[in-house]
Order: sequence, then C-alpha cells, then structure tokens
Amino acid sequence: MIPRHFQITIALVLLAILISGIVIIRMTHKEEALTLQAAEAGPAAPTVSGKQEHIQLLLAYDEDQALRWRPADVFLPADRNLRARETLRSVLAQYLQMPSPHPLAKGSDIKDVYFISDDTMIVDTTAQFADGHPSGILLEELTLASLIETLTANVPGISKVKFLVDGKERETLAGHADLMSFYQTAAVHELAKEFE
Amino acid sequence: MHWSKTVAGLAVLALCCALGVSGTVPEQQLTVYTPQTTYSLPVVERGGKPYISIMNLLSPLGAPPPATKGKDWKINLSKMDIRLTDGKDKGTVNKQMIDLGGNVLLENGRFMVPMDAMLPLLGRLLNTTIDFHQPARRVFVGNTSTRFTADFKSGEQPSLVLHFSQPATRLDMSHDEDRGALSTHSSKTTLTFRKDPLVSDLKTQQFGDGAIQSLSFSEENGAAVLTITGNKHLQLTRSDDGKTFTLQPQAPEIASTPTPAQAAMPSAEGQKRTPEFFVMIDPSHGGSDRGATFGGKLVEKDITLHLARELRKELEERGISARLLRESDIDLSLDRRAEITNEQRASVYVALHAGRPGKGVRVYVPLLADAQQQPLAGRFLPWENAQSGALGRSQNVARAVSQELKKKGLIVANLGVPLRPLNNIFTPAIAVELAPEDDLQSLESQKRQTNVATAIALGIVQIRSQIGARQ
Repeated sequence: MIPRHFQITIALVLLAILISGIVIIRMTHKEEALTLQAAEAGPAAPTVSGKQEHIQLLLAYDEDQALRWRPADVFLPADRNLRARETLRSVLAQYLQMPSPHPLAKGSDIKDVYFISDDTMIVDTTAQFADGHPSGILLEELTLASLIETLTANVPGISKVKFLVDGKERETLAGHADLMSFYQTAAVHELAKEFE
Repeated sequence: MHWSKTVAGLAVLALCCALGVSGTVPEQQLTVYTPQTTYSLPVVERGGKPYISIMNLLSPLGAPPPATKGKDWKINLSKMDIRLTDGKDKGTVNKQMIDLGGNVLLENGRFMVPMDAMLPLLGRLLNTTIDFHQPARRVFVGNTSTRFTADFKSGEQPSLVLHFSQPATRLDMSHDEDRGALSTHSSKTTLTFRKDPLVSDLKTQQFGDGAIQSLSFSEENGAAVLTITGNKHLQLTRSDDGKTFTLQPQAPEIASTPTPAQAAMPSAEGQKRTPEFFVMIDPSHGGSDRGATFGGKLVEKDITLHLARELRKELEERGISARLLRESDIDLSLDRRAEITNEQRASVYVALHAGRPGKGVRVYVPLLADAQQQPLAGRFLPWENAQSGALGRSQNVARAVSQELKKKGLIVANLGVPLRPLNNIFTPAIAVELAPEDDLQSLESQKRQTNVATAIALGIVQIRSQIGARQ
C-alpha cells in the first residue's frame, strides 16, 4: 500500500511535467513564428557594398499630395543593375520608416531588377509591396512616380520601366495603377512635375 | 389492303404539306438580362422538359472553359466551384448541393441542364435578385428593367408616343430576329424587344381611334412584344436617344416617288441608324474587389455604385442616356469593363472612384504607355493603347467636367495617369475620384454626391456637341 502523501506528491510531479511540456512547446512555436516573420520582413535581396553617394530621392508626401526631392546618402555599387536596385530600395526604405510620409506595408522591397535592353528595365517587387499597398489612384500613382523618377535621376539611360510582383505580372498595384504596361519615363516625368 | 396503304400514304403527304406551309417551328429561346449584358440561348425539349446548355448560360457571364472528365463537369466562376454529373439531378455550388429539377444530360460533349436549374445556379453565382418570367422564358438579374408609358394623341394626325425609362436601342428595321423586329400589317403593328429588359403591368389599353385602336404588352419566347392595332400602316420614328418612339399613320405621299428634297431627308430608318449618344458609367470595383477602405465599414465599391446611380439620374434628367457597367455588387474584371464599353460603343466612359489622400475631387485622363503611338486607319489598335485615338477628346471632357466641379466650389485637380481600364477604351474616357472632405463620412454624403454628379453631368452636356455621336 503506497502512502497517501506519496501518491499526492507523484501526481503533482506529473502535473508539473505536463505543464512544463506544454509551455515549452508553445514557446518553441512562438520562436519559430518570430523567426519566420523576421525572415519575411527581412531584406528581399542581399545588401551590397559600394561607394557612398549623395543622391536625390523624389519622395511622396501624402499629407499634401506632393512629390519632393530629398537628399540621401546611399551606398551605390558601380554595376548598373545593382545601382538601380539600391536606388529603388533607398526610396522604399524612406517609406518604411516611422513616421512615414507615404506609408507602405512592412516587407515592401525590391527583389531584383533586370535590364532587358539598354533602356528598358524590369523591376521585381516583393508580394508585400503590392498586397499591402494602400488602395487609391493617387496613392498608387505617387508610389510609382516616386520610384521611376528617382530611378531615372540616378541611373541614366532608362526610358521604359515595367513592374512585376513576386516575379509575376499583375494587373494593377492595388486596384488602380496599371502594372501591365511599360511605363515611359518621359511621360512619368511629366506626371511627376504636376506634383512637384 | 391496297386502299388502306394509299390512304396512309396520302395522310403522310398531307402532313408533310401542312408542315411545309406552316414553315419551321421558331427556335425556343431563353433571354437573360443583366446590368452588363443581355443574351439569349436556345431551349430544347428533353423528356417533356425544357433544357439549356450550361455553357450557353455561363459563358456570357465570363465563365472559363469547363473541366470535364467522363461524366463529371466542373467550372470555377466568381470564386464559385460548380460541379455537375451526367445523369444526376443534383449538382453542387461550393460543395453545397442544389436541386437541378431533372437529370443532367450529356449530348455531343455538351452538358445540358433543366432550364429551371438556372435559378439556383445564377442566384448563388451572382448573389443578387433573380426574377424569372417563366412562361416567356425571360430572366431579370439584379432588378434590371426598362419600363414605358404610352401617350395617345387623337386628331387628324393621331399618334402614339411611347416613353421608355432607358433607351430601347435594340429595335431595328432589319428584321434581324436577334435584334428585334418591326412588322407592320394593315391592322397590326408589332414591336419585338429581345435585347431590352422591357417589362410592364399593362395588358391592353384601348384608344378607340380608327388608325390607332389599342396597345397591348405581352412576353413570349424570351422577348417582350408591343402590339398596336389599327386600320392603317404605322410609321415609327425614334427620338430622345432612343427613349421615345412615336407611331403615326403613314402619310399616303410617302409611298409615292419622293421629290429630290424628300429623298435628301433622313428616313425613319435612317434616323434609327443615327448613332446613339450615351454615357457608360463605371462604378469601379465590386464583388470581392472592395477597392479602398475607409475606416472599416465604408468601402470604395459601395461609394462608387451610389455615385454612379446618382450620375445616371442627373444625366437622364438632362436628356442624356446613361448605362451602368454594374448595378449590383458583382465582380467585373478591368478587361471586361473595357470590352463592354467598346462593344456597346459608348460615346463617353466615366469611371468613378473614391480614395485618399486630400480633399475635393480629382479628374483623371489616360496617360498612355506609348503616347506617340497613333491609330493607323484600318488597322487594329494595341489593347494597351486603344485610347490613343480619343485622347484629345478625353482631355476635353475632363476639362469641361473640372470647370463644372469648380463652379460648385469644389477643390479640383486634373491629372493624366496610366489607369486601367481607361487606356483600353477607344472612346473618350475619364475617371473621377472623390476624396474625403473633413471626415470620411463625407464620401457617402448624399448632398456631396449629388453635387459631384450634377457637375459631371453638366460637363458632359457642355461637351456633348464636341464629342459628337459615337464613332
């Protein structure tokens, strides 16, 4: 016959083991989720080294519906592709900081850029860039004008730009701005002037 | 025996002659009226029940090709998964069972369903009211309807004037069954409307005149029919962009050889062929595409639909016909919006939006991907640059609308943007975006919406003569 106090002690020990197990499992899941989240929110492309340059970014300001040139110090590589990508990423970085003049969704980034000819470039953005972009004609056009104008100001010789989202074509950015067509940088320049 | 064979042979011959004299039996049709389009499909008898092809019903609604495997058929439309099986009287829509009212039939690779199955199928798919006039085989989706009033004037030149709530554009003198027909006899004039969702509570209205005695309304075989009895041939003229039909006894001299001056005058038929001026209003977004959201409950797709109805009212009050691309909360792709507008040859296209930031109203014209690209006569236009030939007129419409908005004291901005589907439309096209005023609730303010709709309508009235009729 096992004494009663011994039975109670065993039961309490088993209960403690069970509770500890549950807590450990939940903590593990939470840690995995945080790791995954961090990975998703992290840079879509590796950072690159280069010479620090003082460049101008054309940034959107929602409050007064305007685009304004702002100086920034950015590390830009000599390679034309990488230079274009880092220029675009520097614009998005401005929008992702808090407070933001033109808030974009967390995870908005440039995955890659490709020149399909000397003057024609494809920009591949992350899914978060389009999925989480605020919907509205003006908001969407400001984003695209800001990116394209900054790009052409810092990477000469680009006359056409097309955007992909996560490697695929998409009809619109967030229900309005056309992503199917190639943007003529000259036409975007005229549009941007209206907001400056 | 010999005589009985002869009698039987004669009977068969008589039957054949009778059929030959009576002509072929007209094809039975079912007509579906939706806010975006109207279409008819053939109805066939199988085992005493009317049957239709499921793809004839769903294709005009944008259904992709179905996936078939043996006796099974499935399709995905508007995020709905529809499954049918040959020989079964039940189908599923998103795994929910529906009663088809009879077995599915597989004929020459086509899946046929009982006509009555159309009700639960369309009801689930379109998520709106479906009104089925069963004996006449006419289906009205989402309160689509055109009504009319009749105004009889007696006297030396009696006339019957029919006023329609929407332009009755499909009537044609060509005797084209698909487009409606006018047939005139000495005692009966029949106007058949297959493409117009004409409905009426009228059965028969008596006028008691020799030339025009009565007007009756009936529905049959997927069409609405207006029958005017009288003792003279009637002449039909259309006016008010197809919203008014005037029937008068034909003057005897019309039948005689026309003078050169008369020959130069446009005939009634010529008038009917005059292109109709109408505005295609696009309440942007809809269905699963909610557009911009404003503080949770308020969504762009609802604001645009309300504003679109308001604009249609304002245009019609000023004698301009208007059609809405959607009357209810349905999914409609950007390409489909452009296709409908181009197919119907709208005179002006106005897309309505609502969005942040800022205040007032923004009026947009298309910014083409390749502004230099001009249409070449007799050649196809690239889809992405279909607007190129109308860009100048779009800018004129935008300017006129902006001026009227400013007159109303609204803050207005004019911009050129690469906005779909404006670039895919070959008629003058603009987009109008309503921004919130001091608070988000201002977006759904009746007063503000009326103000904006009135200004847009006035701008279009002002520019109408410049735009001209449709090309």
